Amino acid sequence: MTAAPRPPAVRCDGLVRIYRSRETEVVALRDVDLVVDPGESVALLGPSGAGKSTLLWLMAGLMRPSAGRLRVHGVDLGRLAPRALDRLRAAEIGVVLQNPARNLIPYATPAQNIAFAQRAGRAARGRGWPGRRERDRAAELLERVSLGGPVARTRAGRMSGGEQQRLAVAVALANRPRLLLADEPTSQLDAASGRAVIELIKETAAETGATVVVVTHDPAVGAALDRTVTIRDGRVGAEGRHGEDFVVVGREGAVQLPPEYHELLPPGTMARIEALEDGVALRRVDGTGHPGDGERP
Amino acid sequence: MSGGLGLTLRGLWERRGLSLVVFLVAAVSVATAAAGPIFADSARTILARTTLEAASPDTRAWRLTTREEDGLAARTAKLTAGLPFLDPPIPGAELVSPEVTTRRNYPLMWQDGQCEHLALAEGRCPRTAKEIMVSAASGFPLDSTVRVSGVSDPPGADGEQRLAELRVVGVYRPGDIDDPFWFGRNLFAQSAGATETNGDPFFTVPATRAHTVATGTAAWTESAIVFLDPRRVTGADIGRVEEAQRRADEIAAGGSVLVFTGVPRLLEELRAQTGTLGVPALVVIAQLVALGWLLLFLTVSDLVAARAPEIALARVRGHGRARVWRFGMAEPLVLLAAALPAGLALAAGPAGSVLAGLLPAQGASPVVVTAGAVAAGAAVPLGGLAAAAIAAWRMARRPVVEEWRGAPRRRARGWIVDAVVLALTALGLAELLATGGVIAEGSGQRAGALAVPGLVALAAALLACRALPLLARTLFARTRRSGGLGPFLALRQIARGSATAGSVIVLGTAFGLATFGTAAWSVTSANYERVARTHNGADTVLRVGAMPLEEFREAVERADPSGSRAAPVLSVPGGQAAMLATDPARFARVAYWRPSFAGDQAGVPLSTLAGRLGREMAPRVLVTGDRFRVRIGSVRPPENWQPRLHADFRVPGHPRPVSIPLGLLDPARTVLEWGLPKDCRTAVCELRAIRGEVDFSPGATAAPDSRLDVPVRELAVRRDGRWRELDAGLTDPGRWRGPAEAGPKGLTLPMTPFGAVSAIPETFPEELPALVNGQLDGRYSQGADQAYLVKYDAVSTGPALPGLDRPGAIVDLELADRAAYAVDPKAEFQVWVAAGHGEAVRAALTRQGVPVFEPTRYTDLVARYTLQGPGLALFLLLLAAPAAAVLALGRAVLALYAAARRRSYELAALEAAGARPRALRAALLLEQLITLAAGMLAGVAAGLAAAAAALPRIPQFTATPLTPPLLYDPAPLPLVAVAVLALLAALAAAALTAELLLRRVRVDRLRESPA
Repeated sequence: MTAAPRPPAVRCDGLVRIYRSRETEVVALRDVDLVVDPGESVALLGPSGAGKSTLLWLMAGLMRPSAGRLRVHGVDLGRLAPRALDRLRAAEIGVVLQNPARNLIPYATPAQNIAFAQRAGRAARGRGWPGRRERDRAAELLERVSLGGPVARTRAGRMSGGEQQRLAVAVALANRPRLLLADEPTSQLDAASGRAVIELIKETAAETGATVVVVTHDPAVGAALDRTVTIRDGRVGAEGRHGEDFVVVGREGAVQLPPEYHELLPPGTMARIEALEDGVALRRVDGTGHPGDGERP
Repeated sequence: MSGGLGLTLRGLWERRGLSLVVFLVAAVSVATAAAGPIFADSARTILARTTLEAASPDTRAWRLTTREEDGLAARTAKLTAGLPFLDPPIPGAELVSPEVTTRRNYPLMWQDGQCEHLALAEGRCPRTAKEIMVSAASGFPLDSTVRVSGVSDPPGADGEQRLAELRVVGVYRPGDIDDPFWFGRNLFAQSAGATETNGDPFFTVPATRAHTVATGTAAWTESAIVFLDPRRVTGADIGRVEEAQRRADEIAAGGSVLVFTGVPRLLEELRAQTGTLGVPALVVIAQLVALGWLLLFLTVSDLVAARAPEIALARVRGHGRARVWRFGMAEPLVLLAAALPAGLALAAGPAGSVLAGLLPAQGASPVVVTAGAVAAGAAVPLGGLAAAAIAAWRMARRPVVEEWRGAPRRRARGWIVDAVVLALTALGLAELLATGGVIAEGSGQRAGALAVPGLVALAAALLACRALPLLARTLFARTRRSGGLGPFLALRQIARGSATAGSVIVLGTAFGLATFGTAAWSVTSANYERVARTHNGADTVLRVGAMPLEEFREAVERADPSGSRAAPVLSVPGGQAAMLATDPARFARVAYWRPSFAGDQAGVPLSTLAGRLGREMAPRVLVTGDRFRVRIGSVRPPENWQPRLHADFRVPGHPRPVSIPLGLLDPARTVLEWGLPKDCRTAVCELRAIRGEVDFSPGATAAPDSRLDVPVRELAVRRDGRWRELDAGLTDPGRWRGPAEAGPKGLTLPMTPFGAVSAIPETFPEELPALVNGQLDGRYSQGADQAYLVKYDAVSTGPALPGLDRPGAIVDLELADRAAYAVDPKAEFQVWVAAGHGEAVRAALTRQGVPVFEPTRYTDLVARYTLQGPGLALFLLLLAAPAAAVLALGRAVLALYAAARRRSYELAALEAAGARPRALRAALLLEQLITLAAGMLAGVAAGLAAAAAALPRIPQFTATPLTPPLLYDPAPLPLVAVAVLALLAALAAAALTAELLLRRVRVDRLRESPA
């Protein structure tokens, strides 16, 4: 008898998310296919408004997809009842929101903020009162993010941006989540603090085997993680592994050219597709179908 | 929940400004609502005590009697059990039997505490068995022995039973025979000289009964008197007084105990007095509670909204919805829980004392937090609780990411609530205008219409909050083209509507009620004063003991020689119309008068009108003596006629004329005489008529045109054996009226066969000149003696007259006296006194030996009206609604501040883009000012509209006075003051918040993410 294969930590199939207001509809994500394996750390890159945060919120179960399927550890989030979704989020998903202050209760101490998250996890697991293990875990987390000692008695709202961000990570890790989602965790930090936070996330993930998905603009963060996924115009435009970026062919065969190639093939350009042994080549042509100036293979 | 109480308290401290506002709004609303029942209970207590104190003693006590030995202790204990307002029973016993020498019936009795209620003339109070104290009127000397047939010594060794010898150890004089201590017994008849057969009691001690035996048919009767103590009765005790009466009825139903009491009459009076308080007070309290609900609903919603990021965070962390809901409600719950006792303490403490102190009533008014006050107070936080529950539930269910989106989803405000309120208002107004029942509809059956003022205010506020954004949108289009950045930004924000709606609603409603309350109180208090002054007649009215009218007039003249401070007034109740008879000149200087009282003579001063009440008349024909004589000329009566003359006299002490026969007329008699009434021998009597009557011989008939003229030549009276001719003016045509004619030959009385004929001295006019306030002109009304009717000749006919609470007339005292035969025993002798001279006139009258009773001031009447249900309700509204309006203003300012603060990022961006701070200041100031002023003005307009529609239909008195007519125009000054104060407050609040907000607008805020 062989063990059943572990499901991906995150699996998106044709994921669509549309924001509707009274007058307009905005398609934030369209046909996103993405698989994140357990234990993997992935950076979601892309320009502002590309849909990175929306994808993260969908993974966190904070909103439902308009179409497509999203599974987290094999559980289809779209089919979960609100209560089950809350429990899943409490027990298995840690979330670090953009803007560290949003992650914290400003008038509570760091320990109280962690305890606030732990209570949700405890309730999701059907446990009652906090145990010593939880308190130890909180202390350990605070030590790890260098917020032990006198700082632990400071109200979160009075901490510096870096301290708040580190505390936000600690709070997200409070319930030993299997999936850690972080939205711009280094955006308001200096480079050193940002590196420290990313290291913290990686170390913790490595220790617990958690899967990490980080939304970032920072290429350094992307470089620090196993894989990068670039979202453009609501689609997965490219993936990067080991320092190299690859375009991703979409469901309808669409490929998004990276911006650095837009000079060669500006939007609206007609191109001839030439089959190669291991792929295709695009060649620019003019309006008559002849190769354009400066044509190169 | 998550974080427990500590975290909740930290959160409250974090939002201490908003928390404080919620706490204050809740506490003050609780206090306002709870103060209503406290106020009503205090008023009810004062009413109950006043009623009890004014009641006669027999309506305040039960007297239980039985012939069973030791049969009362247990029963009185049953009667008084658990009723702290009852005094301990006063036990007693009594045996009535004849005294053996005089055969008078004497009660041998004792009553606990008797000696303190008797004036000891000689000796001492009895101490041991068979000692007695007798009245001075009984004539028994000190140390004598008295025997009564019903009390014997126990049989001796020889078996003989002898009457007990009661030794007189003291002689008393009865004190006040109306002393309530003697309630239920008519004692001291011997001292009063009212009986020949009953003697005053022999007071002894209980041991006498133990050492003697009752003999024959005589038997001891035990008694116990239980008094109600007015000082210990509260408004809530009326039901318990009823309970005491039920117990007394049960005791009496047993058959062996007789219960004598007038308590049922007292209960009727108590119910009538306090019954009017309930419904109106409840209506106003309900409206205040509803206003508190609205305020708290909005304020608590703000508090929950301020916690939106934390609630969203709880969702992100995976807390379940129920837990998130509880988390959202935690802070409001703590505040509301703290506000309830604080509000109750506020109501019971300062607010209650202020309210109770404002009650213009006699004596201390106890302030007690009753269950009703707690219930009313507790009802207010329920509004906040509902708001917290709804707002927190919305937060718990709202998509989490909406919290972080730049433009939160807008919710269109539904029309359902507005439509319901508007429909209810229309219904209430229709009911009000069609049928007229509002606040003090005694039965409370039209409770739906009672809330019309509140509904009108709410409806106007709802319409205003809809209209304001529309208006702003219209003007906004213009400011886009011109008008500057300030108005553009302000109108754009108002046009969005979300931040202004709640503020306009709460301001409109609160200021609507405040304006209505002010208008209602202004109208009502003016009517109270007008009615009180009119009904009282003058600033102060002294009631004095009855006396001859001449003495009365002279007493007043001596008390006030100036003639401008006091006026004698004889108030005759009358049947359909009352009569006030007074000294017109003094009356004109002392009485309360409005030009409208003169009706058709409105421009004529009272002094002129009063001057027309008197009339120059013939002098009275006064007689004192034992015999009256009429000398006539020779007459020859027609055949078969038997003509007789009579003389009618007004005799002191006789309510009707006393007539004496003067004899049969025949040709031989020229002198007719008869004895005067007995009282005229010493008193001054007045000849009121010489009357002729004709009888006929049996079987005879008279010719219709036959006539006998009787010439009266002389009238004389005999006194002390000497005849004296009276100055009757028999030759003066101006001194006689009727068919008689006075002329050079004397007074000729034309006698006809049918009916009597009278010659009447012209001492008073046939129609009394009078100021009248009804259709009395030319009609007969009862005169001062209540025996004969008078007609009035109206000097002026107006809608009201001083001193009259119903139709009536004011006449000259002298003429009224001349027209009457006596003064009706029910007539009141009053002295009307001008303001500031009450005590001096009272003292001057007392110095003359005139008994003066407790004065009535018009302010006492105002106080009484204020304590009636409608007055109380409107007074409550006046006190509470402005407090609510101030809270509403505070809440509105806070909401606007919070809304503008949320836009500080946007304002910082505008500043960075080059907008001048002055334009931003103008924008903030205008936005707040327009919103606040719109809400307040909508409220003021709604309040005025509600006042115009409702006030004429609101009974302001428990029983609407017949006169004077009530006025319904509010005094403009208080209303203008309310509007101006409102606008000034709006301006100050807007300027302050705009300045505070501007300080937060800094360009460096743009480095932060938008909130």
